[in-house]
Amino acid sequence: MINDKNSQKIVDIIQNWARQHSIWVLAYGTGCGAIELPPTMTSRYDAERLGVRGAATPRQADVLLITGYLTTKTLKRVIRVYEQMQDPKYVVGFGSCTINGGMYYDSYNTIKVLDKYLPVDVYINGCMPRPEAVLSGFAKLQERIAEGRAEGAKKYKENLEWYRANQKKIIPNWVMPDYNW
Amino acid sequence: MKELKEQLINRIKAHFPDITVENNFNYNRFDVSINKESIHSILFYLKDVMGFKHLSDTNCVDWLEEGEFEIVFIVWSPAEKIKIFVRTRIDRNNPVLETLDMIWPQLHTYEREFREMFGIQFTGLEAPDEFILEDWQGPPPYRRDFDTAAFAAETFFERPGREDAEDVREAITKLTGEEIPEFAKKYSR
Ligand code: SF4
Repeated sequence: MINDKNSQKIVDIIQNWARQHSIWVLAYGTGCGAIELPPTMTSRYDAERLGVRGAATPRQADVLLITGYLTTKTLKRVIRVYEQMQDPKYVVGFGSCTINGGMYYDSYNTIKVLDKYLPVDVYINGCMPRPEAVLSGFAKLQERIAEGRAEGAKKYKENLEWYRANQKKIIPNWVMPDYNW
Repeated sequence: MKELKEQLINRIKAHFPDITVENNFNYNRFDVSINKESIHSILFYLKDVMGFKHLSDTNCVDWLEEGEFEIVFIVWSPAEKIKIFVRTRIDRNNPVLETLDMIWPQLHTYEREFREMFGIQFTGLEAPDEFILEDWQGPPPYRRDFDTAAFAAETFFERPGREDAEDVREAITKLTGEEIPEFAKKYSR
């Protein structure tokens, strides 16, 4: 449609500006972390002033929050949810469990490093991150979107085989549909 | 309460002479150990005749050194306000027990859990093989000889730690000018 490089740039800037101010978070929580979201969303911290609000279904959402440890069983659902989401989409890893396993580092059934299975755009550390930390994580995400650096979804598409191999390593019975986005 | 407990123990003993009783708790509890052949009858007896209607909990203990699993049923009598721990032991290498879910239907769930987590087989238990773990391929994870840390290290990716193992607290205080309180100093390296 637009072949001129410069006009594409302008379109990108406008697009990113718009995306940055309407981050819809999928209402889906794993681990302990989802409990920090009600205070983040409600009047005390009021995340909606940053454009962060809940979305009911994966198709409507922009951000998938992984709020804590992921068992292999949940990972399966999370992958499925992530693949159903429409572009633009971002993943925010929430809490030390997603970063290095946290206190579940020696559990037989939880993954330790989330970015080997899904492309993570922003990590928020803490066990549990308080709402202030969550908001600063969202601010960071906005910054990255504005700069056009939040490209997890692109990375996922380009390296799908690598991600799939990692995922299949711990999910032996792969019975998931293929999405063609 | 002491007399009441003695009474109850005597009543149980009259029917099940081969039990061992532990009664040195100074609150409303005593323990009964019985062989695995009589576990059905004692639970039926406690529930239907003696009024221990409520199954509070069921648990499994792995006595690795003795080569046995111990299954503990905690039953509670609402009328007498007494709880009994009924214990039975089964062989760890051949852990088989007959299903007990006709006594309390909720035992069905516990049995499925024991089957998955400890590998105890319940004959007559009608349930799908999988309970909580999905696609599980390792050994039963609650057994004490299952090394979770080693299993996790070999199954999942690990993020390497910082090589310098530095205490970042000091770096943060330098950055922000914040003071470390006295009590916290002794915890920093
Ligand atoms: S990081 Fe802490 S609070 Fe978050 S899921 Fe892990 S253990 Fe729970």
